[in-house]
Amino acid sequence: MQIKVGIPQAMLYHEFGGLWNIFFQNMGIPVVLSGETNKQILNRGTLLAMDESCLPLKVYLGHVDALLPECSHIFVPRIAQYHPNFHFCAKFAGLPDIVQNTFRLSSDQLISPNIEHKSPVKQLQALQDTCRSIGLSAVPGYFSYRHSLKSWKNNTSGNTLSKRSIAVIGHSYLVKDAFFCHDIMNMLTSRGIAVVTPEHVDNKALYAEAKIFEPDIYWQLSAKIAGAAHFFCRQRNVIGIIVLSSFACGPDSLMNEYITHHILKKSDKPYIIISIDEHTGSAGLMTRIEAFCDLVEWREKHESSLPSYGISEHTHCKNAQ
Amino acid sequence: MKVAYPHMGYLNIPIAKMLSDLKIETAEVPPISRKTIELGSLYSPEGVCLPYKINMGNFLEGIERGADALVTICGAGKCRMGFYNAVQKITLAEKKQLQFYTINTDSLFRDLHRFLCTAAPHAGSFSVIKSIVAAIQMLKAIDATNEAKNFYGARSANPEEIIHIFDNGLQLFRDCRKFSDISRSRNTVINQMQKITGPTEIQPAKVALLGEFYVLMEPHVNHRIENLLIKQGIEVKKFACTGDWVYSKTLLQTLGFYNEEKDCLSQARPYLNYHVGGEGLKSVGNALACARGGYDGVIHIYPFGCTPEIVAQYALKNIAADYHMPLLTLSLDEHSSDVGIITRVEAFADCIKRKAAQRI
Repeated sequence: MQIKVGIPQAMLYHEFGGLWNIFFQNMGIPVVLSGETNKQILNRGTLLAMDESCLPLKVYLGHVDALLPECSHIFVPRIAQYHPNFHFCAKFAGLPDIVQNTFRLSSDQLISPNIEHKSPVKQLQALQDTCRSIGLSAVPGYFSYRHSLKSWKNNTSGNTLSKRSIAVIGHSYLVKDAFFCHDIMNMLTSRGIAVVTPEHVDNKALYAEAKIFEPDIYWQLSAKIAGAAHFFCRQRNVIGIIVLSSFACGPDSLMNEYITHHILKKSDKPYIIISIDEHTGSAGLMTRIEAFCDLVEWREKHESSLPSYGISEHTHCKNAQ
Repeated sequence: MKVAYPHMGYLNIPIAKMLSDLKIETAEVPPISRKTIELGSLYSPEGVCLPYKINMGNFLEGIERGADALVTICGAGKCRMGFYNAVQKITLAEKKQLQFYTINTDSLFRDLHRFLCTAAPHAGSFSVIKSIVAAIQMLKAIDATNEAKNFYGARSANPEEIIHIFDNGLQLFRDCRKFSDISRSRNTVINQMQKITGPTEIQPAKVALLGEFYVLMEPHVNHRIENLLIKQGIEVKKFACTGDWVYSKTLLQTLGFYNEEKDCLSQARPYLNYHVGGEGLKSVGNALACARGGYDGVIHIYPFGCTPEIVAQYALKNIAADYHMPLLTLSLDEHSSDVGIITRVEAFADCIKRKAAQRI
């Protein structure tokens, strides 16, 4: 069978997918993406996964299932740690084993390089593993990787926040997954409110924002969320904040509390935390978003007539921070 | 300063001893009860795991009894536990002005030593180290008696009595004064069990108990599952011992003689090939060793939503299928009632005993 690498378009694809795509393209390897999440993928994933798994993991398994019939290899990198100060959630370290155990794939069907940190040696090892699994030499792989890394980094650029907008913050695999956020985005744009996500801000800036919590937060993606919350709370054009989180997400169960206390409560912005799961009826979600929009618009209209003690209390909090 | 610390299994016995030896004032936290769990749940985020809620309950009950300094551990692999203290601090600070000490398990010995030196400034470094060593010794002794309980209990005609001896034995350890008292108490308790048991040649059905550390250690939370099983005449091997764990974490690891991760990793292959935080890798490694080592069944027990154990489950499911090994999975939250757990454990015990009978 001819080599065809399948990349599930879920979980860390939303962080690093651009790089993986360019890399395989540069190597001249045909790549198949599983496409956007849809109802079928979600249902299939829910059936395959263990009951207590978090929503993104269920979705991920659905994506792998969609790829299996037409691909010779599935790309499931094991990204345990990327930055020395941070960890990823435990499921990322076990992801290739989860896929392997669920589908009982043979080991040469799975491309799963270990990415333990960003050091050149580890990167090289991961690269070698990837090349070996598809039967290519590591030398052209290395050059192609260097090339891909460059063009990937050039692609991620910041965006200015000039319009009045609502920030939607959460793990990139929820916020960037249109299946989960489609309705939220539509509702906001239909009311003439633009949406900003952590994607619109440079990654480096987000981590720098998260630095104030450095001794505490050790999940990399959660630090990014905390950084984003901190950043958006200070932007004048951001008129409200929606925090998206998935049911049974380990880090979020603690981080939501943490962010609420240290960031959201101290700012003067209206905020809401929404937890989503695999039940797809959107009426409940829409009611909440609608109510939240009403609140935001009411606040905007009455901002000037708010009693002064409310505002002075808020400035006090900001100074204390 | 009045110190309170959360419960975990028999850990409170050596810790209370250690603190009283060093003349540190403590607020004794009452044993975990329905009330602890309810109180803790009330002040915890909804989706967080059970150990967090119970720890919170312990702290709140400690504060009720006048504690103004709390000690807790953090940094267990990459699991949520490392972040407990950051969030608990927020909620507790609203109740009272408190001091919060965290002992990182990755540098257990150093952090423990540092904490004891701050809490007991008059005590010398030697007596601090001596009290730590005594505490480890005691933990290991209690673990040994617990293991003896599981061994003799399953073979005895009257397991209730063996359990009774063990429970009484805990009091002996509380009263220990010197190093020699510890080993004497251990021998006394084990001898008592031995005496009433009779011949022990027959091998009863054998079950491995593995999963998340806290739930395995704390009898109130795991519904005394070990006692449930030995009353059914089933021998239990528990794969978590505080004594061994603390010993390897403090002394061996500090000296660089021990690397738990490496051992587990080679055991868990090919079902799980990476450390996934918490006890995930260990659960898989031990399950595989038990499947190959002639155990009759495995019970996997963990708090609801524990990520490392869920990752482990994907592997455990396949190990159970590949080795034809019965597997019972118990996921506990604050609502688990005794009846539900007991029914499932009894049904599993019947299945195991039938399988063991066929083997003979």
